[in-house]
Amino acid sequence: MKRLSLASSLAAAAFVLSAGTALAAPFQCPVRGGDLVFGQEANVNSLDQMTSSTISTRNIAMNIYESLMTRDENNRPILELAESMEESGDGLTYTFRLRQGITFHNGKPMTSADIVASFNRYNRIGLQRSTLDNVDRWEAPDARTFVIRMKQVQPTFIEALSSFSVPIVVIPSEHENDERQQLRTVGTGPFRLLEFVPGSHARLGRFDGYQPNTAFEQRTGFGGYRVACLDTVTFRIVTEASARVAGLETGALQAVEDVPTRSLESLRRNSAITILPLENWWIQIALPNTANPPTDNLAFRRAVQAALGMEDIMDAATDGNYRLNVGFQYPGRPAYTDAGRETYNINNPTRARALLRESGYRNEPIVILTNRDYPPMYNAALVMQQQLRAVGINANLRVVDWPTSVQMSQRVNSNEWHFFHSGWGTQPALGALATMQFLVAPGANYRPRDDKDDPDVLAAWNDMNNLRDPAARQEAFARMQRLVLERAYAYPFGALTKVQAVRANVQGYVPFRIPRFSNVWMTR
Amino acid sequence: MFGVLARRLASAVPVLVIVSLITFGLMRLIPGDPAAAIAGIAATPAQIEQLRQDLGLDEPLLGQLLHYYQGLLRGDLGRSLLLGKGVFAATMERLPVTIGLSLYALVFTLLFGITAGIIAALRQNTFIDQAAMMFAMIGISVPNFFLGLLMIILFAVHLGWLPSGGYVPFGEDPLGWLESTTMPAFSLALLQAGLLARITRSSMLEVLRQDYIRTARAKGLPQRRVILKHALANALIPIVTVVGIIVSLLLSGAVVTEALFSIPGMGQLLTQAVLNRDYPMVQGGLLLVTVFLVLVNITVDTLYAVLDPRVRHE
Repeated sequence: MKRLSLASSLAAAAFVLSAGTALAAPFQCPVRGGDLVFGQEANVNSLDQMTSSTISTRNIAMNIYESLMTRDENNRPILELAESMEESGDGLTYTFRLRQGITFHNGKPMTSADIVASFNRYNRIGLQRSTLDNVDRWEAPDARTFVIRMKQVQPTFIEALSSFSVPIVVIPSEHENDERQQLRTVGTGPFRLLEFVPGSHARLGRFDGYQPNTAFEQRTGFGGYRVACLDTVTFRIVTEASARVAGLETGALQAVEDVPTRSLESLRRNSAITILPLENWWIQIALPNTANPPTDNLAFRRAVQAALGMEDIMDAATDGNYRLNVGFQYPGRPAYTDAGRETYNINNPTRARALLRESGYRNEPIVILTNRDYPPMYNAALVMQQQLRAVGINANLRVVDWPTSVQMSQRVNSNEWHFFHSGWGTQPALGALATMQFLVAPGANYRPRDDKDDPDVLAAWNDMNNLRDPAARQEAFARMQRLVLERAYAYPFGALTKVQAVRANVQGYVPFRIPRFSNVWMTR
Repeated sequence: MFGVLARRLASAVPVLVIVSLITFGLMRLIPGDPAAAIAGIAATPAQIEQLRQDLGLDEPLLGQLLHYYQGLLRGDLGRSLLLGKGVFAATMERLPVTIGLSLYALVFTLLFGITAGIIAALRQNTFIDQAAMMFAMIGISVPNFFLGLLMIILFAVHLGWLPSGGYVPFGEDPLGWLESTTMPAFSLALLQAGLLARITRSSMLEVLRQDYIRTARAKGLPQRRVILKHALANALIPIVTVVGIIVSLLLSGAVVTEALFSIPGMGQLLTQAVLNRDYPMVQGGLLLVTVFLVLVNITVDTLYAVLDPRVRHE
């Protein structure tokens, strides 16, 4: 059995990440106390993190719950409730040693029986329970050890297990049989739930029995050395952007997400407020429907690719809050590659017209499917339509709401649309593997005829999943990205920046995939 | 009186059946996948498919209708797809919030609407009349959403008198409830107050021209008594009719106001349910709101009988 002391290696990673403060002692709250109110844009219907994939649930629940493993600031897997993890030489067994002294918010000490119960519940009703499809069984040989035995070797299992999309959060064993969305909210995280009124707010309080993870010295990503400095954090649902801004200005809210661009100017002038851009929030993207003409024609899809100017599209989509970005990962991330960059941001009408002639396009109406629920998607579609018209493509918008556009885009061999506008947020943040699943069946977003994958793309996907050497898996990802871009199965426009803001007395708040309130304090 | 009540209650049954059928049919006619809506933008196709199976959304339409009516006969409105809890329980958590807000708005409506209407009628064709009717027109013309935003900027951001949003339950802190609902109630009330002012004015003008008012004045009755006892009492019948309609308008208007002021009421609940295609919640929630409105209308009809002896005798 080879021992992969993930904790130490990843603690080293954390060392590199926080080089500036690495020699300092573990984080200590400069100020303890205070009540922070966060203005959240989307409603929360449930705090059952095992059965929800919504960002709004995750925003709150990930301050309450913890998992065996999670992701660090750069999205690498790290240990959270486990202090070590060993992978057997044959790759079929993962043995986790649990951290000592962890207690739930109800005061009960956490043991491996709770991990077993959490896995059992997740396997029964967890939304991403396919993560455990290749797991033969899990067991708890003693109170501090948890073992996962695989059916087959799966080199990417740890990546899947540490995913924050729908994480396997650890709950007390007595909650194992709680039904879907009825989970009693008791976790091991730095904050505990005090009150939850759906549609209004969730109030969390500092969990005084919390044990920070001493393998780290600072917070990193979803884990690391976390300390609750604030007495309470209230997530108040404020769906109206103007009301969020007003709340921030009056001090009724100390932090908000998604500040509208029209308010940025005045907020920047306000010394009581700090603007915090969150780069790489999502990849703005359009996907062709390759089941039908003329988007089944590669020359036509390339003509579209050649016609697109990404600056204009992203500028309109994001009100200027964007970065140009090749492909499906972000620069600086471990899996980033610019493979296929020659297909990006061509913006060459002459070439587009030549490719159109080559494709035999005869002015058939082209339907761009988009929605108004997410304004960046609508705005991107609007500019795309104009750019396509400029090269002679008879492009038309079809505007529906988000659920309808998803339903239409997922119909096999649909002839109702040619391009579908979307935004990929969580999956690119999770890494290449999570992102590229959007491009293989079932439900490949470019909608191949009869849902049959392009065999070359599928081969690259299989290599991404099955090769044991991480470098070979990365090479497979680069190959898959190149194939997808060269065959114009997707048009990633760029990376959207989401703007958050806090009152100036809120310290230590760093925008991330969720609003993290550990290691955050308020000066008086 | 009891006859009126019994007749009205009996006529409510077909109304409720029709409403339940229409909401069931309309929700199924709207395109859109509830699983995609509930799973959110971050979900993968596999997660959406998993959710679709978990929620049992693959059942044929007729089976769904049958289950719905079987549930109704048992008094079970179903389970919200979005919240994972019973529709009745979810509604009972939110309906009191909206009713409280609407009643508060109704107080503003009656206070401003009837007062302005009476004053305008008594001072017909004077500056006061014109000012009151201009106020009524502003109320009718300004969207409550816009008015709410203006109020937030003035009273919350600049003056700091009232909170910019949020809700405090009455049982928890009555003063906090007043603070958190005053702006929403006022912005909700202004349109209806304008409407009521105009109706009160015309109703009062009509009554003031009646012979019995002239007789009352000729008998030397004090003006106050003539206005309140003889004129207003008779002008009240059309006003009461409008108040019944106003209550339903306040309830439906609360949708926008609740979103703006972050108030967890029925409006927000039903909006979310519609946007997320939460069929059971929309069907059950609307049915319960309809029951409430039917009760309001029955109350109004009963009030006719109280106000007008001719209705009682009929």
